[in-house]
Amino acid sequence: MDVPKISERRRWLLGLCATVLAVALLAVAAAFAGTANKSSTTAPQANAKGGYGEVYKADPKVLAHTLFNAKLLPHNTMARNIALAAFGRASKKVNYNLALKCWKNDGCSTGTGGKLTVAYVEPFGENVYRHISKMEFILQALTYKSIGKIIYRTAHSNLNQALADFRAMIAQHVSAIVTYPDFADAELPVFKEAKKAGIPVATYAWGYVSGPGQNYTTVVGENVCKLGRAYAAIMNKYVKSGDIAFMGGFPGNPLSAGWQKCEQPALNPNIHVVANEPTNWDASKVQQVVSAILAAHPNIKGWSYEYGLGMAQGAFQAYKAAGKPFNAVLTLRTDDVGMGCKTRALKNPKLKVYYYTAGNSQIRVALTALMMRLKGAKIPPTIVFPIQLQNEAKRTECVPGYPQEASATSLVPLKLLHRMYP
Amino acid sequence: MSAHGRTEGVVLHEGRGLRSLLADALVGARFVPVWIATAALLLIASIIAPAALQNTSWAFVLPYMTVLAIAALGQMLVIMHAGIDLSTPGVMFLGGYLIVGVGHHSNGRLWIAILACLGVGVLVGLVNGILVGILQLNPLIVTLSVGYIVAAEGLRYANGLAEAEVPSRLSDFAQKRPLDISAVFWAGAAITLVVALLVRYTAPGRRFQAVGANPRAAWMAGIHVRAHVVFAYTAAGTLYAVAAALLAGVRVSVDPAFGASYLLAPIAAVVIAGASLAGGLASATSTWVAAFALTLLNQMLLILGIATGWQFIVFGAAIIVGMLISGDRIASLLGRLLRPRSTSTRIAPALDQDTG
Repeated sequence: MDVPKISERRRWLLGLCATVLAVALLAVAAAFAGTANKSSTTAPQANAKGGYGEVYKADPKVLAHTLFNAKLLPHNTMARNIALAAFGRASKKVNYNLALKCWKNDGCSTGTGGKLTVAYVEPFGENVYRHISKMEFILQALTYKSIGKIIYRTAHSNLNQALADFRAMIAQHVSAIVTYPDFADAELPVFKEAKKAGIPVATYAWGYVSGPGQNYTTVVGENVCKLGRAYAAIMNKYVKSGDIAFMGGFPGNPLSAGWQKCEQPALNPNIHVVANEPTNWDASKVQQVVSAILAAHPNIKGWSYEYGLGMAQGAFQAYKAAGKPFNAVLTLRTDDVGMGCKTRALKNPKLKVYYYTAGNSQIRVALTALMMRLKGAKIPPTIVFPIQLQNEAKRTECVPGYPQEASATSLVPLKLLHRMYP
Repeated sequence: MSAHGRTEGVVLHEGRGLRSLLADALVGARFVPVWIATAALLLIASIIAPAALQNTSWAFVLPYMTVLAIAALGQMLVIMHAGIDLSTPGVMFLGGYLIVGVGHHSNGRLWIAILACLGVGVLVGLVNGILVGILQLNPLIVTLSVGYIVAAEGLRYANGLAEAEVPSRLSDFAQKRPLDISAVFWAGAAITLVVALLVRYTAPGRRFQAVGANPRAAWMAGIHVRAHVVFAYTAAGTLYAVAAALLAGVRVSVDPAFGASYLLAPIAAVVIAGASLAGGLASATSTWVAAFALTLLNQMLLILGIATGWQFIVFGAAIIVGMLISGDRIASLLGRLLRPRSTSTRIAPALDQDTG
């Protein structure tokens, strides 16, 4: 049986219809796909200039003030953006009267009606460094209209109290917690509880607790291992050979353990670390420790430590009481004004002091990271600032007008500092 | 009485006399062990840590032992009355910051600052004394609570201070070295001597001792027991404030940990010196020696480079051993051993006869 042939004209018509139909179907499919992509993105889109409610831009003068050098920003792109966003907010005007009231009363309502509550939980909280960090936190929080309440808690060096304070914040369902974990991994249980409760936690000044990115959001600070190597470079260059000593804070704290672990192997073989003692960051203990080490090793040539003012108050007294000139190389982490002024007052060219920034303003970065996290940003587990030690002889910490215990790299305005400490 | 009984009585009387004499001598010498222990410590230091006995070390040990000794003297007065005082760190903390805050870097205001510091010590001591001596509250709990309140007030006061240095005249005094020894040491030695002489050789001092040794007997003798207890705590608070002023001078500045290490160390010094926590006699000079021994031991452990954990263990063990061989325990033990057995010997035959 013969099949009737389709005419050529009809064949062309059929082909044309099929082509048009296919194109139409493709167009519809593409339209649906585009719509689906748009609806699945709830967080604001980020680009190179900003995102997650932030603008990735800061005044270079502010950066130079707090980091020594405007280029000393984290290498990781997202970490860098968070830092820029945080320091960019430092230039915003806030209500200083409210900030002072909040600082004195350990918290306050911001008056914005914002729904978020942020907390700064302090296990130690005893010295001016921590008080200034507290103000930095408050000033940063006041730049966010979405933050309606600021809470501050201090445990006065009591671990049980510190854990209780943390749990109290979790029970109050705060939106974010910033802390410096003086007790290191002893605080890990409450970090995990906060994570389980959906509350992001960040630390600053390299307050390292195990599992950043997993057990808590992020740790902000410098790479303390590189800090230790920077210390070693100074000792290798200026001590060359002989005895040096390490001092740290509370036994086992992450900051001291971090740099000590890395400085020792980086030292010249002719440099011997003859002592390594904790001081609880207590100037009285510094004096005792320095006195004992000086008695046992009279020719000691260098000291590596963190707390600059503690060194000035304790070690200078120990040397003076022993009747010895302070001819040594010091590598320190904090840039306390008092350390600089006491060093200058000694007028001893054989005393060489190298220091890093105290890092009070890192707490701003920690808070901004958490605020971005709440908007859906993926925060790197560490936000690490490069290290550049400063030479006291060339860039003094002794800045006129600042309280002796303050750090001149702090972003708390000088006028406000004078109101905090009249 | 038979001749045999008379002879026995004479022998027993002589024996009792000799034993009594020995017991009296030993009770009186209850404070000797701390001196012997300190001499042994110095000998050990000269062998294993000679650096602890050099000028560099003395420059730290002598002023700091003095501060501990003054605080321990205050504690001693309280312990003599079977009390205890845990408000020492709080008083020292607030007192130190008052010197900074009231002094405000001005030598002209130094004396007002010191008076303010002493005033706080007197006030806190008085409160403790009233709560313990008159209201008869438990001293451990009361003084701990008062200490917390005082420390909290100190924190509130310190929060408004950015500067932490004492007036220069105080720090200059602390750094003076008459006869190449810290001026703080000489000041502390003078205070100790005054306390020792007052307690031992004056009538009020003897009454103070009597109240501590036996409050009931003292009351029956017409001594105002409660007034003496109040005085003990008040004097203790004053001495803590003196210790704070001396420490502030040595340190040149005050910080949030000021005075924190003086909670239990003064108590340890008093007990190691031979005093009993149940009250009674105590020796100011032995307390001084105990403070010296504790400070020197601490310094030795640092010089030896012993790991921090082991330093705590050795220090704690030394305090336990010191308490085990303290004069109070030795005197009590030897007193029991030397107690005359005559009463039990005379009763026993009678019992035998009765039971026959």
